[in-house]
Amino acid sequence: MLALDLLANGLIYGCFYALMAVGLAMIFGVLKVVNFAHGEFFMIGAYTYVLVSLKLGVPPWLALPGAAIAGALLGWLVERLLMRPLYAGYASWGFMKDEYAVVVTFGLSLLLINLVDKIVGPYSFRGPPLIDVGRFALGPVMLTGQKAIAAVIAIALMIALALFIKRSVWGLQIQAVAQNRLGASLAGIDATRTTSLIFIVSGMLAALSGALLAPLVNPSPDIGAFPAVKSYVIVVLGGMGSIWGAMIAALILGVSEAFFSVYVSYDYRDAFGLFILVAVLLLRPQGLLGEKGREV
Amino acid sequence: MTARRQLWSDRLRFDMGAALAICAALALVPLFVSGPYALGIILVSIYFAIIALGWNLLAGYTGQFSLAPAAFAMIGGYTTALLGHYLHVPLALGIPAAIVSAALFGWVLGKLVLNLSGPYLSLTTLAFAEIARVVIGNSHEFTRGDQGMHVATLTQSRIGYYYIFLGTLVAVLVLLYGLLRGRLGRFMMAVRDDPVGASSRGIDVVRIKMIAFCVSCALCGLAGSLYGTFSQLVSPELGLLQQTGLVLSMVVIGGMSSLTGALLGALLVYLSSEWLRGFGDVQIIVFALLVILFARYLPGGLWGLAARLLQRGRA
Amino acid sequence: MLFACLRPLAALSIATLFALPALAAEPILIGVSLTQSPPGSVVQGTQVKDGMEIVKDLVNAKGGVIGRPLKLVYEDNQGIPEKGRAAVEKLITSDKVVALAGGHQSSVCLAEIEVAHRYKVPYVNTNCWSDEVRKRGYPEVFNTSPYNTLVSSSMATTLATMGVKRVVAFAENTDYGIGQAKLTGEILKQKAPQIDYKYETLDRTSKDFTAAILPLRANPPDVIVLSMLPPAAYLVMNQIYEQGLAPSSKTILYDGSSLADYPDFWQNVKEAGKYMLSFALYHPQMKQTPLATEIAAEYKKRTGNEVNRLVLQAADSLELVIQGLQAAKSTEPDTLLKAMQAMKFDSLRGVSNFSTAAGYGFQQWLDIPFVIYELTAEKQPIAQTVVIQAPGQKFDPSKIVRPAK
Repeated sequence: MLALDLLANGLIYGCFYALMAVGLAMIFGVLKVVNFAHGEFFMIGAYTYVLVSLKLGVPPWLALPGAAIAGALLGWLVERLLMRPLYAGYASWGFMKDEYAVVVTFGLSLLLINLVDKIVGPYSFRGPPLIDVGRFALGPVMLTGQKAIAAVIAIALMIALALFIKRSVWGLQIQAVAQNRLGASLAGIDATRTTSLIFIVSGMLAALSGALLAPLVNPSPDIGAFPAVKSYVIVVLGGMGSIWGAMIAALILGVSEAFFSVYVSYDYRDAFGLFILVAVLLLRPQGLLGEKGREV
Repeated sequence: MTARRQLWSDRLRFDMGAALAICAALALVPLFVSGPYALGIILVSIYFAIIALGWNLLAGYTGQFSLAPAAFAMIGGYTTALLGHYLHVPLALGIPAAIVSAALFGWVLGKLVLNLSGPYLSLTTLAFAEIARVVIGNSHEFTRGDQGMHVATLTQSRIGYYYIFLGTLVAVLVLLYGLLRGRLGRFMMAVRDDPVGASSRGIDVVRIKMIAFCVSCALCGLAGSLYGTFSQLVSPELGLLQQTGLVLSMVVIGGMSSLTGALLGALLVYLSSEWLRGFGDVQIIVFALLVILFARYLPGGLWGLAARLLQRGRA
Repeated sequence: MLFACLRPLAALSIATLFALPALAAEPILIGVSLTQSPPGSVVQGTQVKDGMEIVKDLVNAKGGVIGRPLKLVYEDNQGIPEKGRAAVEKLITSDKVVALAGGHQSSVCLAEIEVAHRYKVPYVNTNCWSDEVRKRGYPEVFNTSPYNTLVSSSMATTLATMGVKRVVAFAENTDYGIGQAKLTGEILKQKAPQIDYKYETLDRTSKDFTAAILPLRANPPDVIVLSMLPPAAYLVMNQIYEQGLAPSSKTILYDGSSLADYPDFWQNVKEAGKYMLSFALYHPQMKQTPLATEIAAEYKKRTGNEVNRLVLQAADSLELVIQGLQAAKSTEPDTLLKAMQAMKFDSLRGVSNFSTAAGYGFQQWLDIPFVIYELTAEKQPIAQTVVIQAPGQKFDPSKIVRPAK
């Protein structure tokens, strides 16, 4: 049945989108700036996975943590070198942090894309699957081993993240800094280190989503554009700073995109998400689960 | 006049003077350089300068950090192209029509983001820009899609076009100077710095924002339309997010919230990106590194630095 | 005694006179505008550059053209029409190239030929398939590239011969994709109106096409035509395979972009590429000139990959300019242009001349040889593919290999 097919496919892709977006939700929730380079974290993760497993002959299961490490490292570097000025008291950028973040991340995105293009080359690779199961039927729906495993891993990671944020000490620190940076530091939390942690986790999640999707999207240097825009739609739809919101929004986006493209138009499939973004910001700016009282 | 107002109008005058001086220098360039390619490069950087000035009005002075300037240039260009192609409208009407249509779309966008600020505003403008680009790019039957549309031209002479662009630049500068010099300029900055405080003092924040949007987008549309007539082609790539990023880099590197900064930034960034062609393969990598370094270590932009040095002698 | 000194002196001066031209030989500049960075197809740009570099090196090793070495001046157009226009303008006005070659994306070509036409510089269309490029009728443009009408009419004939009932085409949302899909439909309606043909336009920057593929599962067509380029084409193939739609005993894929021999084809599609039919412009069974064999060997040495049609097309375009220069014996644009228009072009795949018929055939090499072959194993070298239609022969559906289930 077509509707069932579309639903299943939409949900699976929704899980992948959620993994991409949840890291951005964290950065956005805390720093409240637009990050042009989020898609490149995804790209670096995908390339690390592909190169480590294809060129170094490492089994894909081990290449996955490799991608995670690459993403974490990149996140840490970006925060340390480029993002500190936003909040570490550089007076002249005071009220212009939006501009700074956009320009610096724009430059970073351009740099990463072209570095990878020059160093690795422009040809795309289909990443090796995590398990060798090809296509199989789950009831009326056709899946592949990779899709199924990747979806399961994505869900597991998000549950792990939710628990991390809600239960662990670091998670609570992250929540505190997201709510009120000054207040948190008054309470004794090292805001700078917490921000660093947020970037590391965000980079790691984005990179992992890239690695999980590498067998499905055939990464090339400019693959980052696709997860980036989707992630923004999801973060806004879900509500600023709300991780649960981002997860639910991702599933909604995945499913509605699938139905939209079949029943309305394939060509405008990606524009559909943008329409949602605008509609949400107009009608319900706090998104699905964002806090209402916040100044938007 | 209070001391503070004196300071502001002094600074603006100094700014305008410097900008006009640069224009005068540009006017003399054809005496030394005659190749159509070289003139073409400066001409394209003037195109970016006009967009940068328009964006600077909206973001640098009024604090509305829009990510859509390139999209409005594209809208302006396509207005002229579509009118010319389907209704055979001559350029004398086509170019003003582009200004009007860009202003109208700008008005719509302004209304959309009235109650938003910060990243929400940026994201909405980004979505608006991308929607515009995708709609124009995918409507093959209507806009010929990625192939682009042909546009008529004002003149075949390269030097002629050089002075047309330069003249437009001067006109834009004069317009902006006039807008900023009076109370409007100060109100805009009030809206940027403290919208709540501004409205508590009786400033009509909504009106100021709408004016900023309309004028800024109209300028971008004008630039796009002129550029379309120059290259005789408009394509959806005019509105790529990449182009917006370029404009933002120019203003940041040049110096935000100043006329000369935007102009200088556009000239320097575009000319150096052409110069970097000599680096061959790594040209974009070097460019990206420069953008990052400038943003990171020189927040006031080059003009900020230069103005500080030049004005040290003054009170 | 005087004479004894004079003779070696005379010999020396004469020798110097002969050497002077070689010492002072100014290189002939040929402009190449191609894609070397995103958002355009860097994959295509790389292949074009490789092909042209090899021919340039081979020619220079043999002494250059009309006594002068050849030099290629590259500009990166990023796949953006506006940048292509600026690149070609720079090449013509600033670098002063004598001719242009290497265009491989139709939308960029269309912008570039305007500039070439304005300055009356010869422009060789390497790989822009859109008929529109020819329809403009510019005498400066020489089309050695395949053209949509060629591919579409061949596809329509193939489909009619196969006797299929339902065909679905996936076309990318560009001038090339939509042009080809539409044209195939029109020709098919005349040749075999009983065939149910429809095409879907897909966004070439999208990554998930499952929504377009799923509706076909209920009632699979007999042939799925792909008028798409990588990376979207590879993704569509993979996703069609994942859904179990093709290849099957009922449905097979048909590649209308000649991408089956791209260097990164197999690493991107793996098992999804088996049993695909491809409209191809290169096959080792085709007539090969010695130069073509030389280029194939050199390409293998430099990149480790088997030579393919895009590399040979690029080589051909440069060859055309070289032969034009030799025929004209000068680099004056007018002379060169006239020589190129008048001569017969000895390409890597046969001798041709350019048709002068208006429309899609204007200055187009009409009888480009092509084959239709089927891939029957992963990473299959082209020589081992099953040829369904040899050059100049009819399409033989009985040769098609179907998967077991």
